[in-house]
Amino acid sequence: MTPASGSTVASPPLLDVAAIAKHFGGVTAVSDLSMQVRTGSVAGLMGPNGAGKTTLVNLISGLLPSDSGTIRFAGVEIQRSPAYDIASQGIARTYQNVRLFSGMTVLEQVMAGCYVRRGASLWASFLGLPKARAAYKAVERHARELLERVQLSAQANLLAETLSYGEQRRVEIARALGTSPRLLLLDEPTAGMNVQESNEIGNLVHSLRDGGLTVLMVEHNVRLVKEFCDHVTVMNFGRLLATGTPAECIAHPDVQAAYFGNTADAERIRALR
Amino acid sequence: MQALGDFWRAYQSTVAFAIVNAFFALSTYAVLSAGILSFATVTYAAMGGFVGARLVLQSGLDPMLLLPAAAGAGALLAYIVALIFLRLESHWMALASLALILITRVVVINVPSVTGGVNGLSLPVKLPLFVLAILLAVAIAVFYRLSVSWFGIASRAVREDPAVASSIGIAPRRIQTIAFVISGAVGGLGGMLLALVLQFLSPDTYFVNIAFTMIAAVVLGGSYHWIGAIIGAAVFTALPVIAQAIVPHFQEVANGIVLLLIMIFLPRGLIDPRAIRLRRAAHGASADAARGAARIVEGKP
Repeated sequence: MTPASGSTVASPPLLDVAAIAKHFGGVTAVSDLSMQVRTGSVAGLMGPNGAGKTTLVNLISGLLPSDSGTIRFAGVEIQRSPAYDIASQGIARTYQNVRLFSGMTVLEQVMAGCYVRRGASLWASFLGLPKARAAYKAVERHARELLERVQLSAQANLLAETLSYGEQRRVEIARALGTSPRLLLLDEPTAGMNVQESNEIGNLVHSLRDGGLTVLMVEHNVRLVKEFCDHVTVMNFGRLLATGTPAECIAHPDVQAAYFGNTADAERIRALR
Repeated sequence: MQALGDFWRAYQSTVAFAIVNAFFALSTYAVLSAGILSFATVTYAAMGGFVGARLVLQSGLDPMLLLPAAAGAGALLAYIVALIFLRLESHWMALASLALILITRVVVINVPSVTGGVNGLSLPVKLPLFVLAILLAVAIAVFYRLSVSWFGIASRAVREDPAVASSIGIAPRRIQTIAFVISGAVGGLGGMLLALVLQFLSPDTYFVNIAFTMIAAVVLGGSYHWIGAIIGAAVFTALPVIAQAIVPHFQEVANGIVLLLIMIFLPRGLIDPRAIRLRRAAHGASADAARGAARIVEGKP
């Protein structure tokens, strides 16, 4: 149905997670999970609450160390790399609960996101060398372009914490884009948004993909997954439950059971509608 | 005329102490602005003070020429402290830095060849007040450049949320190590300036009293902007002097009351860029609303 799902089967995956595991004390958050994200696709990550989706995102972005397994990004193993190194290799992310820097304006947040692409050493920037000044101006222009992209140009000089929730989420996306990523991890980007706002996020994700970015998004909303994702991975209790096109996954009996209890319940709920 | 002269003399030394305290407050601010509460400035000050004083006595050179040595000694010590401290969680770091102050005093007493031990060290050299002022101006220029450079952006990000900072490619440890080294250089310099102002050093010169003043200065002056550290240092140097003049016997009480008032009514300190921005935004919004209302009244949407 979607253009990307058929055409790029042969290309190696941009992200290759193999048998990754993470335990917190006695609790298994992610266990023996493998998944791939193809270059230029929008991949969805679904699963009931507590399935381990956010933990997986934290493992990929390096915020948590994994217990075992490998994560390859563009062919390079990254599961032992620190988060800042993974970010500079080209993986950016947003957070389930918006985590913006307090006291910074919208533009400053995005500028901070551009840190790895600043084009001048800290020392040159401190001394205010002409080259560093020029690079700073270029970064600021780029940050303003990113704000335009998420439709927040008018809010550039406001404190980010004074914006609405939906706007703050878009600031976070712009900040993540500041690192010029090849893979963008979005952790529930539409949580708490209305239909129109979530559609805007979906369209933004599509326009980013069309610009060459690969996206992995944690998403609960079945409609959005169907509409905006090329490929879906479903998790439950830290394990892989199903993987395939959105339609295949949603129709999968195990997925139905995980979301609705069991197939019979699912049918009953459908009958009630 | 005599009274005026006395007043100026007292005033002059208060200004000198305010400038020295500004260096200590800036040293504390340097690490605090990267999210670290550390009292280790006292130790850097002792390092800079004793090394600087000893070099002045030994070489007979102009102390101005030896100020870089004091800053360098402080920076080197701070780098070593950073290697150890940055392995600790933030509250343990604060405690460890307090322990460091206690260790400093013991070390000072036990290396008399450098510090003069319990007898202390007298330093018969004086630095004119205008030199202190020029040095503070240089420090201000450095902190200004830091705040508007990429280091400033990165350290604010690390201070607000180290995990998020690292997920946008900022290495928190690296930024914090640089912050420690800056703190050490400024603290070491402040230590030598204190030696030159006091002209006498004892093991008690660099002790918890400095830690109290500098923390009060930086936290209550405003720990979100370097100006806060300088204003805080001025306030907390002048406050005891003023309180002694007005309420001689209740000086400590007056100090405490001012501290409490600031903590209750200005929890983010006297200088708070965030509050200033919020106020500006609110003014902008109400100005916009007023303009909109005017347009409606005039019948032009």
